[in-house]
Amino acid sequence: MTIAPETSATKGEPISLMSVGKVYAASPSAAPTLADITLDIRSGEFVALVGPSGCGKSTLLKIIAGLIPYESGVVSVGDSKPKEGRRDIGFMHQQSTLMPWLDVKQNVALPFRIARESGAHVDERVEELLELVGLSHAASMRTWELSGGMQQRVALARALALDPGVMLMDEPFSALDEFKREHLNIEVAHMSDTIGKTTILVTHSISEAVLMSDRVVALAANPGRVVADVSIGLERPRVSEMVSSRHFQELSNEVRDALADGLKGTAK
Amino acid sequence: MSSTIAPTTESIAALQGDPRKRIRFLDRSSVRIALPLFVLAAIILTLEALSALAVLNPITFPAPSSVFVAFGELITKGYFWEATWITLQETLYGFAIGAGAGLLIGALTGTFKTFRVSMYPFIVAFQNTPRIALAPIFLTWFGFGIESKVVMAAVICFFPVVINTVAGIAGVDENAKTLFRSLGATKTQAFFRLTLPSAAPITFAGIKTALTLALLGAIVGEFVGASEGLGVLIKELNFQLEVAMGFAVVIALAVIGLALYGLIELAEKRLITWVRD
Repeated sequence: MTIAPETSATKGEPISLMSVGKVYAASPSAAPTLADITLDIRSGEFVALVGPSGCGKSTLLKIIAGLIPYESGVVSVGDSKPKEGRRDIGFMHQQSTLMPWLDVKQNVALPFRIARESGAHVDERVEELLELVGLSHAASMRTWELSGGMQQRVALARALALDPGVMLMDEPFSALDEFKREHLNIEVAHMSDTIGKTTILVTHSISEAVLMSDRVVALAANPGRVVADVSIGLERPRVSEMVSSRHFQELSNEVRDALADGLKGTAK
Repeated sequence: MSSTIAPTTESIAALQGDPRKRIRFLDRSSVRIALPLFVLAAIILTLEALSALAVLNPITFPAPSSVFVAFGELITKGYFWEATWITLQETLYGFAIGAGAGLLIGALTGTFKTFRVSMYPFIVAFQNTPRIALAPIFLTWFGFGIESKVVMAAVICFFPVVINTVAGIAGVDENAKTLFRSLGATKTQAFFRLTLPSAAPITFAGIKTALTLALLGAIVGEFVGASEGLGVLIKELNFQLEVAMGFAVVIALAVIGLALYGLIELAEKRLITWVRD
């Protein structure tokens, strides 16, 4: 994958969450999904959220994206509150969610079409993004002709289309096989180094979280809460060989222990 | 000299009727054409034999050869083409009105919850009512002309389009909806850029059914009360005990139905290019 620094003009924006709480059920007596989440993410920082199913990782991401409301606390992205459809927030889902009636180029250009933008600058930007994700050759291909990994690359290019300051990634590689997943982890980590977006990655994989991010925030369930915030001091650029290093294993174990402690707390 | 051929896994599988082999055989285009033709030929030959052996009464159940002769004669008659033109108009007008209304009501029902809650029970209730029973009422309301047949065709083909449009809209991927929301799409944008293309394959299946049903509605309308059309022709030929000619009209109707279905399938292939067989 060729990484071109000119593919991003927007600097990453800081994200702040203060005592954020969320209850899904209508009943006030229902157990909260998220309780008292406080988290500060610096501009350009790459943070991974890990935790068991039901701990509210994806919910937290949707709150930051402004896709769902929250009951208590304060959330800010940049200088303002989260809101649906903010140009400065890019969202990448677990599934690539490509439109089969559009070709690869048109899928990447979708955010521009929705923003009612067209013209040469859009075409240039789409070409630039396809080059960034290594799919220039596939611009006219239909989505069903792409492998799972290629589909996720298209989704990544689409999420980056409007040059957001914040990238929110909800288990984007979980549907891929181990080999493709590790390959894309490294590529996205390199891309993040270059384009400097503030990125939050939700993942079940501890090694993926450690390999890609600057910080790993571990969440426990019932209610969803932060149980550890581990700083990852691995040097950048990240390479796949780091996975077998002692430091990497220690960091992974630290996150694993924190999660295990969180689970014990839940069991009590 | 003796020669032995060691049995291979494939030859054993073929002897044992390996399902993979059978699927490959049935997937051949030549087989897919030849097999139905073989069945048709078997039915025709059986009926011909039963007629020749006088098992079937040639007046009430004419031999296939008599039907083919009658068909050849029928297509030379001017009144047949006039009747065909009338039935075709009733079918196409009825289809356009019924499918158009079905798409509109289906889109409103699928998109707006208030509309769905207030209208869907009636749609389901009407769907389960034998709508052919309405034919005499339409005759009273709209008379013996083309109008009552158009309305009958429209009412019959309305429901599959509504039901499939609602199902198509309900099946739009939730992740795609979230994606559109995260991109700040307006409801109109989400409808035209996501809902409509997502629902199109299922909706089109309803449209295909509707076109066939529109022809059925037109014929039923003509049976109940009309002065012209292929339905009227079948009735008159039967009264005159011209059963072979009656069968010939049925064959003509089958050809019309197949041609209309072929056209709508062609339109589907042109419009919905992203769905593969």
